[in-house]
Amino acid sequence: MRLSIRHETCYRYDGAPARSTQLLRLTPADSAAQRVLAWRLVLPGPASETVDGFGNRTHLVTLEGPHHEIRLLAEGEVETRVAGPDPALGPLDVRVYLRPSALTAASAAIAELAAGSARSVAGCADLAARVLEAMPYRPGVTSAGTTAAAALALGAGVCQDHTQVFVAACRTLALPARYVSGYLLNEDETHAASHAWAEVWLDHAWHGFDVSNARAPDEHHLRLAVGLDYLDACPVRGVRQGGGAETHRAHADVRATDE
Amino acid sequence: MHALTLPETGHFDEMLLPSGGIRPHYRAFAHWLQAQSPSVLAQKREQANQLFHRVGITFALYGDDAGAERLIPFDTIPRVIPAAEWAKLEAGLAQRVRALNAFLEDIYHEHRIVKAGVVPGEQVFANAQYQPLMQGVNLPGAVWAQVTGVDLIRHADGGYYVLEDNLRVPSGVSYMLENRKMMMRLFPELFARHAIAPVDHYPTLLLSTLRRASARENPTVVVLTPGHHNSAYFEHAFLAQQMGVELVEGRDLFVRDDHVYMRTTAGHKQIDVIYRRIDDTFLDPLAFRPDSMLGVPGLMQAYRKGNVVLANAIGTGVADDKSIYPYVPEMIRYYLGETPILDNVETFQCRHPAELDHVLANLERLVVKEVHGAGGYGMLVGPAASRAELEDFRARLIAQPENYIAQPTLCLSSCPTFVEAGIAPRHIDLRPFVLTDGRETSMVAGGLTRVALRAGSLVVNSSQGGGTKDTWVLEE
Amino acid sequence: MLSRTADHLFWMARQMERAENLARLLDVSLAVSLLPASRGGADVSAPLVLTGTLDAYLARHGEPDASRVLAFMSFDAGNPSSILSCIRHARDNAHAVRGKITAEMWMSINATWLEAREFAQGGAGDQAFFDWVKERSHLFRGATHGTCQRTDAFSFIRLGTFIERADNTARLLEVKRHLLDDADAADYYAWSALLRAVGAFEAYHALYRDAPSGRRVAELLLLRPDMPRSLRACFDEIYKWLARLEGDNGRAAKRLAAELRAAQAYTSVDEVFDAGLHDYLTRMLGDITRLGALVHEAYLEAA
Repeated sequence: MRLSIRHETCYRYDGAPARSTQLLRLTPADSAAQRVLAWRLVLPGPASETVDGFGNRTHLVTLEGPHHEIRLLAEGEVETRVAGPDPALGPLDVRVYLRPSALTAASAAIAELAAGSARSVAGCADLAARVLEAMPYRPGVTSAGTTAAAALALGAGVCQDHTQVFVAACRTLALPARYVSGYLLNEDETHAASHAWAEVWLDHAWHGFDVSNARAPDEHHLRLAVGLDYLDACPVRGVRQGGGAETHRAHADVRATDE
Repeated sequence: MHALTLPETGHFDEMLLPSGGIRPHYRAFAHWLQAQSPSVLAQKREQANQLFHRVGITFALYGDDAGAERLIPFDTIPRVIPAAEWAKLEAGLAQRVRALNAFLEDIYHEHRIVKAGVVPGEQVFANAQYQPLMQGVNLPGAVWAQVTGVDLIRHADGGYYVLEDNLRVPSGVSYMLENRKMMMRLFPELFARHAIAPVDHYPTLLLSTLRRASARENPTVVVLTPGHHNSAYFEHAFLAQQMGVELVEGRDLFVRDDHVYMRTTAGHKQIDVIYRRIDDTFLDPLAFRPDSMLGVPGLMQAYRKGNVVLANAIGTGVADDKSIYPYVPEMIRYYLGETPILDNVETFQCRHPAELDHVLANLERLVVKEVHGAGGYGMLVGPAASRAELEDFRARLIAQPENYIAQPTLCLSSCPTFVEAGIAPRHIDLRPFVLTDGRETSMVAGGLTRVALRAGSLVVNSSQGGGTKDTWVLEE
Repeated sequence: MLSRTADHLFWMARQMERAENLARLLDVSLAVSLLPASRGGADVSAPLVLTGTLDAYLARHGEPDASRVLAFMSFDAGNPSSILSCIRHARDNAHAVRGKITAEMWMSINATWLEAREFAQGGAGDQAFFDWVKERSHLFRGATHGTCQRTDAFSFIRLGTFIERADNTARLLEVKRHLLDDADAADYYAWSALLRAVGAFEAYHALYRDAPSGRRVAELLLLRPDMPRSLRACFDEIYKWLARLEGDNGRAAKRLAAELRAAQAYTSVDEVFDAGLHDYLTRMLGDITRLGALVHEAYLEAA
């Protein structure tokens, strides 16, 4: 399937920050499941590019001098296909993904949710279903900084929360699990096109679990970055010096294009 | 006459032989000591207090809003190490630091030691101190820990054992330097009678180690501190001053075009080497804790691109973790093909069934620690534990053996120390500081000797009433 | 030097100078408050107007009352403009750059803070306290002069002192403007109080051998280069210390300092009064604020 993406992020400030720095993970890489045909970033200043320890392509954009807004645009075309479990190891030893992070520390409730699950694809799919059942999709309840434990306690969340609770639960079962950020082609418009799902290392390959949609990722999914949690993999992280209150608007438009 | 007494049996005394006689390397000092009147020595101790107080007014009250100060007690009886003993320690420390650096280079690149089955992968990669973002980062000279503090104890058998390696931001070196300055000031005659290896060139050695860490010619070095509210700020300011480099905070630095700059009154200036005294997770809010106000946004990117050197590197904590410690002798064999010169404290890993059996059978004689625990939480001190505590830990060990290690109860050596009622034996440890640029290691002969001031106590930490002593390494 | 270090040194000096100026003003206010209103007395709100804390005071205490104003401006830790707060800020700034100032400077400023807190336990601000504040300020200045190396650090300390002092002298004259503007209202006690506030009482009499007049007081405090608290003297100093700083980034600040110094050197008191004292002082206060901002931009927060 050929997907066309246009992802615009805009930060507006009440004041004017003297300096702001954004770390972007907005560049997809080729894999068995996707081939990048064209991709470009339109950024407000010079960017420096690198590949991080997880293997993600990152850009660092710094704006100096007072500014009232920052606009970031990522757009391109990617050919996707259903590739099944991915045996690619990546630069890191998979056991790194056994480790909890601040956002994915397992609470007793998360451990309890995971307890007894079979350490298999079916067992994980079942666990994913229980996560979604325990915290149905509901936007506005959690925020970017909500931990997995807190989100589960709130009993609701979005894809970020579902994924984080799920990877935290898998890790209590001693299964390496990672957070994936990317895009999803939606038939309905209720879910954002910016998306997150999980991957679990089972039988020597990464198996995907789109917890929020109760299915396996397929050609509707386009991956951007992976990590232990949201902070490692999210498309944009920023800090600024001064600038007062901020409004943030992000819009991702994903379409299937005819060949 | 000063009465010198032996410690409780089972402990080695640095000055006294079990017979009560004086060890050869302490004879000159003991002779001098016996010639001093107690009142003169008391005066000297008072003088030392006042001088430190004054230095304290100069330095130690950082972090205390009320302007009061906390002094770490200083004892005027030195810890003396004979030349031959130091030579062995020095070789052993250098060897250890070489192996630890090789280990760090390996686990952030090819993972050979794990693939070879020498160190279990879970202990390394699932460790919270392992920094995934450092995977594949090439550091100049492959140096990860330019500065290492190694905690040593001397056991009842008279041998030195490594208790812990400190590869993150080891502190205490300023006390080593201040203690020596104080002793020379109070008792200059002692330094005429002994050939004592100097330590005061440590800042020069540190600066040259840091400068050699950069590929740039005439690199700019800075010390990065969390700020004056940090309890070790005294040392940060002291070292910056002694090296003649700027003491900076995160907000003094910024990243532009993947290089790090500091803001000065004459414009911005590129920084090549950062001797950082801030923990990994606070260094860059874009890479680690997003709430860190102490770091520099974008630093990780500049670092990854090789445009700035951090001393020590990010991610070194995995090598001094309790779960990795038992493998250091194996690392020495694996990377260096050498026999370890310094011994570890014997450690039983409960995840091995045979070792677990041994631990369970000897619980009341052992200290059991949680592998990832810190600060004495989740710890069982067998000889001091009640029946119920022992049974509770027995159950925990059986349930999750992989979470625990066990060690024999440590017998720290003692050294005569001034106490209220005269001179009494008190337990001590030793932290030498090892510097390396990847090609060679260097260290000053000595270190920080910490002393537990309460009778019988084995806790030397300053936060729990520990004091310090000057450490003399005798020259041949 | 690190911009942050320069910033701390600059504000250490400014806050200490501010504490001293405030003590001088409160001392006068105390004296004047004892006079009947008809003779320029009862002007107890002057310190509040001068420091821009009148609204905060009114909100908390209502109608200004002499002893309450003195306590509010002397010891109120909740009032960021009180003497106690200024001393605390000065000491905190010194603390942050402890390694860059001498032991004697640090001991002086730290002891000042510790003793000021003890004073504050004791209750109202009185003459003994104001004298003590002036003395501690002299002591700190002395320690600075006697021990501080003449590097950029010293220049930033002096810059902070004189920018603050210029601002204070201009403000003080603006608040007491009615005494200068209106020759008929001139009252010997009010005049002498003002002159004493800036330590110029003796100088005035040595120079003019005469009962004070508005014009002469203004001339003394605005234009005389030999009066250490006059605007003219402050501008001379600011120019001098700025000129010593190396680098190009302070060009705008240096230019403004040179302009202010030249203007002040070639202005006569008649020109000041012809143009209107209020307008003149308003312009001066604006220029001083602008200069402070330029110094800030060029050196203290350089990006």
